[in-house]
Amino acid sequence: MRKLLNIAAVPLLFLGGCMQDNIIDDILMVEAEGYDYIGNDQVIGTITTPNYAQGGVSGSGGGGGPATASMMTSASAITYDGRSLVEKLTPEGQKAIRAGKLRVQLFNEALLRHGLKKLIHFRNQDPDVGRDLFLVMVDGNSKDLLQSTYQTAIPVSRYIYDLIFQNQQQNYPRSNLSTVLYNYYGYNTDPFMPIIKKEQDHIVLTGIALLKRDQYVGRLNGQQEAFLLKTLIENFNYGFYDYTFKPNQHVVLENVNSSRHYDVKNGNSAEPNIYATVTLKGYVRQGNPLLATQDYYSEIQTGIQSEIKRALEKMVVGFQKMDVDPIGIGDIARSYTRHFDERSWPERYPRAHFHAKVKVMLVETGISNVR
Amino acid sequence: MQQNRINETHQVSPVNAFFIVTGSQIVVNILKFQSVVTEDAEQDAWISVLLMGLGTLLVMWCILRLLNNEQNYGQPDLFSIHKRFFGSWIGNLLNLAIILYEALGAILYLRAYIEILNVWLFPRLSPLGFAAIFSLLIWTVVIGGFRTITGAFFLNFIYLLPLYFINTFIFSDAHFSNLLPMADHSMADLSNSLIKASSCFLGFESILFYYPFIKRPKLAVKWCYFGLLNTTYTYLLLTIQGLVYFNIGELRTLVWPVLTFWKSIHFPLVDRFEYIGIIYWLTVLIPNVSLGAWIVSRGVKQIAPVIKQKYALVAFLLILTAVCAIMQSRPQIEWINALISHIGFYLVFVYIPFLLIWQWLLKIKEGKSQ
Repeated sequence: MRKLLNIAAVPLLFLGGCMQDNIIDDILMVEAEGYDYIGNDQVIGTITTPNYAQGGVSGSGGGGGPATASMMTSASAITYDGRSLVEKLTPEGQKAIRAGKLRVQLFNEALLRHGLKKLIHFRNQDPDVGRDLFLVMVDGNSKDLLQSTYQTAIPVSRYIYDLIFQNQQQNYPRSNLSTVLYNYYGYNTDPFMPIIKKEQDHIVLTGIALLKRDQYVGRLNGQQEAFLLKTLIENFNYGFYDYTFKPNQHVVLENVNSSRHYDVKNGNSAEPNIYATVTLKGYVRQGNPLLATQDYYSEIQTGIQSEIKRALEKMVVGFQKMDVDPIGIGDIARSYTRHFDERSWPERYPRAHFHAKVKVMLVETGISNVR
Repeated sequence: MQQNRINETHQVSPVNAFFIVTGSQIVVNILKFQSVVTEDAEQDAWISVLLMGLGTLLVMWCILRLLNNEQNYGQPDLFSIHKRFFGSWIGNLLNLAIILYEALGAILYLRAYIEILNVWLFPRLSPLGFAAIFSLLIWTVVIGGFRTITGAFFLNFIYLLPLYFINTFIFSDAHFSNLLPMADHSMADLSNSLIKASSCFLGFESILFYYPFIKRPKLAVKWCYFGLLNTTYTYLLLTIQGLVYFNIGELRTLVWPVLTFWKSIHFPLVDRFEYIGIIYWLTVLIPNVSLGAWIVSRGVKQIAPVIKQKYALVAFLLILTAVCAIMQSRPQIEWINALISHIGFYLVFVYIPFLLIWQWLLKIKEGKSQ
């Protein structure tokens, strides 16, 4: 009896095939979504998908059909904001569209000014999409950016992904869906995201967009400011900082280690004091031979120190004026204050005093003696 | 007396108490654990978890004491204890209640797992189909006897070991300052969290049913405590991991924080770890539902010896399948979950100490009558 039942159970193994499957050749796998706001709660949504049926290297295990078999690679349509593009674009899809492997989501500035709330909520609710995709602001038009051709032959979604990924290993602070959700849902913190721009046949990372809750309020330009923001947000070790000693006399500091430490005094008072200690360890990568001083270890070191200190304090004052908190000073104050008064923090934040203390340690200056 | 003793060929060695105790605590609730436990005590939730873990040690002491004393009078399991303490009428009523509780627990485990499958992997998977096939699996395990169930628990523990290493993935995203300021919450908040955490620690009380199946029970005592400590350690780790990886605001929005955390892990070939993790969780489910089914069928046999255990088992599995199919939505599942946690909390922390005291009173009474 039991043996019979066991044998009868074997066909059940094949029931696995009865579920809906997503075979990679038979779906359009969305890798990038772009949203451009056109007013009145309407957006132009664009998707791109990699093209697996196209060409393929000859002899690569029979990969792909002839070039004429290439599938569609992008589609766009007008929809209301906050809606998933997958369902909207289904009538345009040659095959079933699936969003499971989304890598980047692009928004133009108008959409970010309008607000990202619905999309953030949707991303938090959606089980299909991972949490390591990049949310990116586009200078200009994201449809343009996604549908152009570039120097590289790899799909534009991966181009953008790689570009942002490698930059976040270096000067740019980490910002992906995970951190945006973290900062959006966290009390008294605000998210930020990288900004990219199309320049002829390139894509360039131009800065960091600052969001108040879910709305764009300002930006940081260039890697220099990204570096400064990063020193306050995380410990990292691949950045570089360009120090202008005198006009036309630059020293590039490549950091091998950076760590930060915070202290908060009177966190519940009307004007809290926040002390940040940043320790930068680095070596001089390029020193201008015409530098007026050769004294790296004292003059240049203190010069960098005071410049970074001033820049950090200026940056935070700028944040306070915009009333935006990408560093999460509110969260730091909460961590270091007993019975923190969270309610009144938004009013107290602009009046908080931020003091930076920077310690720069030049470790090495390269393999040639400075003469 | 003689017929009550379990044949040694059906018994398991004392070490297995460890696998069963810890395995029956870590079930489906663990996936929701982080957001449940941090609701009130926020960053201090780990204190509540620690206290709860110590509390389970105390209860385990009560249980082992109760069962050990009972060996002198009859079979040391809850069904026989009920009958001896309260007579066969009330005793059997209590047995029926406890069977209902265990049955509901097993149903909830399976249904909650199907819910996760539906939400994360296969929205179109029918609960009826899955429950039916799963019941067949459970049938093969339970019909093999308690030893097979123990084996499933052992494998469950081994299979879960790799998941402990997954936690190291948080380090790149950890915000350890989230744990500060420490001890910033009132006793009320802490105890609320403690009570909420209790639902995840339940399950170890099933030793009340399988105790007679452990060889040399005196040696199993330390393994029972180790099992509880292992669970406490796991939950403590998870609480800290959840607090450090998410913040409180985010945790409040998440239903299954553990799965959401797995969502951000990827390996070269496996782009999203939760797809593996959820399927992996089946190994946790099999022994636990099997144990539930075993307890229920054994209980039915004890109440009405006319019904053979294997028929009771088939009947229970049919009910299991049917109820899984009837429960359609999350509110229903959550309602049953809340019910079970409440009953379980009082069962473990009120009823079991009460039984121990009752046993002591009975003993005094006996001494006086002699």
